[in-house]
Amino acid sequence: MKLSKIAALLMLPVLALTLAACSAPKGDAKGATSGDAQIAELIAQKPSSAEEAAKLYQQLLQKENEIFASDNALWEKVFLAANKDTPMIEDGKNYGDFLLDTIEGAKDQFAADELKTLKAGAQQVKEIEDKLMALEKEFPGCGSTPGEGESVDASTAGVTNGESGETKFPSFKGKDLDGNDVNSDELFSKNKVTVMNFWFTTCKPCVGELGDLEKLNKELAEKGGQVVGVNSFTLDGNKDEVADAKDVLSKKGVTYKNIWFKSDSEAGKFTSNLYSFPTTYVIDQNGNIVGEPIMGGINSAEQREALNKLIDQALAKSEQ
Amino acid sequence: MARFRGLIQAAATLATNIHLPNFAKGGIYQGAGKAVCVPGLNCYSCPAASGACPIGSFQSVVGSSKFSFSYYVTGTLILIGVLLGRFVCGFLCPFGWLQELLHKIPSKKLSTKKLKPLTYIKYAVLLFAVVLLPVLVVNDVGMGDPFFCKYICPQGVLEGAIPLSIMNVGIRSALGKLFSWKLAILIVVAVLSVLFYRPFCKWICPLGAFYALMNKVSLLGIQVDQCKCVSCGKCAKVCQMDVDVTRTPDHAECIRCGKCVGACPVDAISFRYGLGVTGDKPAQSTQACENK
Amino acid sequence: MLFKAVKPVVQVALLIVGITMVCFGVMRGEADAVLAKAIRLCLECIGIG
Repeated sequence: MKLSKIAALLMLPVLALTLAACSAPKGDAKGATSGDAQIAELIAQKPSSAEEAAKLYQQLLQKENEIFASDNALWEKVFLAANKDTPMIEDGKNYGDFLLDTIEGAKDQFAADELKTLKAGAQQVKEIEDKLMALEKEFPGCGSTPGEGESVDASTAGVTNGESGETKFPSFKGKDLDGNDVNSDELFSKNKVTVMNFWFTTCKPCVGELGDLEKLNKELAEKGGQVVGVNSFTLDGNKDEVADAKDVLSKKGVTYKNIWFKSDSEAGKFTSNLYSFPTTYVIDQNGNIVGEPIMGGINSAEQREALNKLIDQALAKSEQ
Repeated sequence: MARFRGLIQAAATLATNIHLPNFAKGGIYQGAGKAVCVPGLNCYSCPAASGACPIGSFQSVVGSSKFSFSYYVTGTLILIGVLLGRFVCGFLCPFGWLQELLHKIPSKKLSTKKLKPLTYIKYAVLLFAVVLLPVLVVNDVGMGDPFFCKYICPQGVLEGAIPLSIMNVGIRSALGKLFSWKLAILIVVAVLSVLFYRPFCKWICPLGAFYALMNKVSLLGIQVDQCKCVSCGKCAKVCQMDVDVTRTPDHAECIRCGKCVGACPVDAISFRYGLGVTGDKPAQSTQACENK
Repeated sequence: MLFKAVKPVVQVALLIVGITMVCFGVMRGEADAVLAKAIRLCLECIGIG
């Protein structure tokens, strides 16, 4: 009797161990073939109401993101090539066409089978984009108001906005560390993507990655994006904390904006509820949080890849 | 008291991890209680943790660029040490309790008597991993790593990393080499705990090392009445921390579990509490005993 | 057995030292530093990384 009790007690940690060991992040193993069929099916759909259209819109967007996600490294190269060789996408031009052009322009960088994958992907993106445009024409605004009910994006670990699949970052009025006013609408809408890094002054890995984030900010600037830092110690603009944070930032050569807001504001509560640092959110032009936040330092290849994926998703959304 | 030790250990573990709903919510307690150190080794990253781990706190204070020593945590440890000594290990520490429970798993049991030199490792862990390295090995802005928490502590994996990563996708994807290394330590400690009695307490634990030093001056002591003692050796035999209480009642390894108190056939061994309590009450001479 | 004689003195002294250190530590903001770290987990510091 006593033994069985002990055994049961012991099983718990063992179970926990096994779970933790097995639940290592799974890659995007979704086969391209099943994806193809699904995309075709989605494109064939003809929504009858604005709600349905909005839902379809989101589903298609997600498919598009999955295309990029499945061969992330390859697409990275394409996006890089796009920055150097081709001008920014002209308005009204299909994003798929833009990708095809870019791939064509940089084809010597890829092997034959890689090219095939990329072109097939770009073709699909093109079809999806056509459908998206048609949807937007038929049901104006369906792209910005995602449908109710079934959420398409996975709900984030942050504040979930019950109705829609997308989660808005709580809007705020705050200041940067130099005392200039910052408001969230302006901050987000002026940039195609905002990488929001939450850190605090005595967190060594957080401080350790400030240099990398500064580099990322420079890279993003070329794509119309930015990095914004939120030091959780500086909420409410505590003078000593702001001074300490500025000291660290200057030692690390950080030039991007670091901001604070009132801790009793929605954004302040959002920040206070975070307990793991560093945490990095990616926010699109509409102020929506894209995907799941990255937790921990962005120091491994996997974490870096995950961040790039989110950035691309945000860029893709902003470019519609 | 020693009879209720299991209950007290369970109660202490519950008290230091009172916010149980956080396990399901996947968050941690963020209230003011976290400014206070608990006596035992209990990671503050545990979702349920009600206070801060003294070792973790010490390292986070000395690791920051503002401070290079923590008076607050050291003072707390001195107070707990003087008041209780390694009684904390025997009665209040959740990780000590876990090792004991693991040791109850039926298996071949190995003695640690011949491994005594290993007990000095924990002092090195305390000195280097907790006190010196976090202060000396710093980055460009003067911040150090909490070496013990980051690279050694198995309690952090068990209470922090595992439950947090089960509930949180983001944390799960942050798991990498560091986590694998520490998980390996946890597994090794768990397996060794089945074979040996409290291997982590004996050999590695820096908190145990600090309390071990304080054991000599602790108000709580064990006293052996040499007049009653018949030198049967039962106390030394029953002691799983390899202490001969009749010789060194305030031994650094004694976790005050009280097994010897219960094992003594003539009730010569007892807990004592107060100023100036010295372990042995030696017969100044055989006459002194006889006179009684 | 010199130690026996001084033991109570050492004990009282350590209690006083302990209380003084705690007070001094709190005064210079160490308790806040502990709280700040205990409610905001630096993931790498607890071995998640």
